[in-house]
Amino acid sequence: MGVGAAAGIAGATAATGVDPFTAATNGDESIDLSQSHPFYATAARQPQGGVRTVPQRYCVFMTFDMSSSVATDLQVLLARWSASIAQLQAGKTVGSVEPAHGAGVGADTGEALDLGPASLTVTVGLGPGIFDERFGLASKRPAHLAAIPTLPSDNLEDGLTGGDLSLQACADDPQVAYHAVRDLARMARGTATVRWTVLGFGRASAGPDQSTPRNLMGFKDGTRNITTDEDYDRFVWIDEPGSGADWMRGGTYQVARKIRMNIEIWDADVVSDQQRVFGRTKIEGAPLSGGTEHTTPDFAATGKDGGTKIDPRSHIALAAHEANGGVKILRRPYNYTDGLNQYGQLDAGLLFTAYMNDPGHFTTLQRKLGASDRLNEYVSHIGSAVFAVPPAPRKGSYIGEQLFR
Amino acid sequence: MPSARTARPLIALGAVGVVTVLALTGCANSSTSAGDAASRSGNVSRVSVTLTNDGSDKCAVSETKVPAGPVTFTVKNESSTAITEVELLQDQRIFGEKENLAPGLDAVSFTATLTGGKYQVYCPGAERELTDFTVTGKVTSTANSSAATLLAEGTKGYAQYVDGQVTDMVAAVEQLQKDVDAGDLAAAKTDYANARPFYEHVESDVDGFVKKGYKATDNAGNLDYLIDMRASNLDESVGWSGFHAVEKDLFQAGAITDTTKKTAASLTENVELLAKLVPTLDYKPEDLANGAAGLLEEVQSNKITGEEEAYSHIDLVDLAANVEGARQAFAYLKPGLTKLDPTLTKQIAKQFDATNTLMDGYRNADALGGFDTWDAATKASDANAISQQVQALQDPLSRLAEKVATA
Repeated sequence: MGVGAAAGIAGATAATGVDPFTAATNGDESIDLSQSHPFYATAARQPQGGVRTVPQRYCVFMTFDMSSSVATDLQVLLARWSASIAQLQAGKTVGSVEPAHGAGVGADTGEALDLGPASLTVTVGLGPGIFDERFGLASKRPAHLAAIPTLPSDNLEDGLTGGDLSLQACADDPQVAYHAVRDLARMARGTATVRWTVLGFGRASAGPDQSTPRNLMGFKDGTRNITTDEDYDRFVWIDEPGSGADWMRGGTYQVARKIRMNIEIWDADVVSDQQRVFGRTKIEGAPLSGGTEHTTPDFAATGKDGGTKIDPRSHIALAAHEANGGVKILRRPYNYTDGLNQYGQLDAGLLFTAYMNDPGHFTTLQRKLGASDRLNEYVSHIGSAVFAVPPAPRKGSYIGEQLFR
Repeated sequence: MPSARTARPLIALGAVGVVTVLALTGCANSSTSAGDAASRSGNVSRVSVTLTNDGSDKCAVSETKVPAGPVTFTVKNESSTAITEVELLQDQRIFGEKENLAPGLDAVSFTATLTGGKYQVYCPGAERELTDFTVTGKVTSTANSSAATLLAEGTKGYAQYVDGQVTDMVAAVEQLQKDVDAGDLAAAKTDYANARPFYEHVESDVDGFVKKGYKATDNAGNLDYLIDMRASNLDESVGWSGFHAVEKDLFQAGAITDTTKKTAASLTENVELLAKLVPTLDYKPEDLANGAAGLLEEVQSNKITGEEEAYSHIDLVDLAANVEGARQAFAYLKPGLTKLDPTLTKQIAKQFDATNTLMDGYRNADALGGFDTWDAATKASDANAISQQVQALQDPLSRLAEKVATA
């Protein structure tokens, strides 16, 4: 496992006199499991962690259905989740692992003891169902929160779709991420039931000092992702003062899609076709119009045969903001595997999580991709959900507190 | 585990409280109480309880000594995730409590009118869970009906319930044997489904019974094993008998053979043996609590999966019977438990109701045993919902044993 190896490397560099801090900055493969992210906001309109946070290596995503229709149950759950996430992100347990009385049941399940914070972030999302008739919160519905419409090529399974609440727990140690979701799911019992979950690994997106990672198709994923403050403000953070959802300012929307890959078929595809499908070279990730990875693709450049060098039905051509009225979304996906499917094939793909200030932006992009993308031959969208991600609470408050005022 | 009635005395009765509660309210922000509070110039003592976490969960009580009269406890959870409730106790009896305490929520309060004596502020999950709390002043002494007495009465009632179930089980398996001997496959199938619930109501109580002359580790003398073993956990050295061996012949092979007849006869024999042993059993309150929890574990591990009734697929019959057996154990504890912890009692009762409502949706008078067949399609679509409801019941129920054991 990469984490153990990383710890070993850190030890080795210290012993040989190499400054471990320099090593950590230069090589993004070394990971410091003692790193932690604060949960509480220190200023107005700060986002929750797990959105702009430098992507950790592992991620567990889980959605829930409210089984209670009582608003105070939802309120108590959000308050308990918030305070617990603050402790979990600090590397603490949520209550005792070994109660004083033998007849007591441990509050914390204990498997993350001694593992460190591992840069854990837990992001809480509120689905459209929170604002239906059940909880009396309809007047506070965020303006753009609505179920994602049916899109071309959708192959959604009911058991992998929707949810009233979501948790995205990302960490550099998979057990730390899993422990967080496990403790929080336990806390929800009697109030909410679990709906679907995906265990992600191998971050398929990059932070500022990280190299672009690869998805399970072997291609770099996220080369043209959002990175600048200006783009975050323009495309990710919600800022609509005066709307009914003033409380969402500084928050964002989360779109989650479980995308299954037909791995065996893809693996048998010749590399020139694979590159044509993506519109990039496989190792470097350069656009087929030329240059290196971060060279801006020239979608008009033509080759000797007179056609464009980048196929107009390639993934990058259809997804490019140039072709979508300038729209961008922040992608923060992870790879996943569910083992083998019933036919003995590898059951794996991409947990596509993306953040944006209007889920309509995702719909715009996917409507185009679902209709024409050459990649559709190799992928299938089997799960889908959308959530409003409120801003981070201040200490002494909790996520979504303004809903109950 | 229950013990032999002759071998273990009834539980020791807890000390009987010596305090009369003049008024007790769980409502937030109540500031007045009835009774002789006026004799104290209408003064209400105010105590604040603050819950924090600075590495460990702490419960701080602002005053630990107040004069007799109305006392208002204001509870604020600043930052503790482990502590979700605060109780005021005396002799394990709850005089006031607040639940669902989470950081960030507004402070809540409860008022109790207390006479002199020693109390404790109980914060389950705190580093130090109990804080001594003294009330000084005149003691008005009258005894309360003790929770421990009520619990002890409950265990006797429950013992009769178990005896009744086993008596009915004997009659049901004798009927099964009769129809097997007659070669009547259809009747035997119905008999099988009718006999199962009696076992499933009480199986956590009879778990571990050993026939005389056998070691506890020898399955050949283990009555639960002999009566209820499944193909999936067969002990090769003992072979297979009991309910599920009969089930396989009736439902998978669809034929009654000489072996079926022998198996049915040995089932009757073992159930009759069980019926002789069960009346000697004695139960402590925590036996009922643990037994109820054990039955729900059975639901989760064997029924939801369809492993229990692998051939007849009447798992929902068993499942409903496990829940009913657990509900009976809870019902017998309820009078005492209500005195100990009314909120937990209500929570458990509510989840039993929710579980029963869910199971009612599967009732089917035309199906064997009165419930829908647990086939692959139903399992695929519904197992999750049932399992999660049972889990919602298991959570509050898992706190029952600790409550009643310390009463």
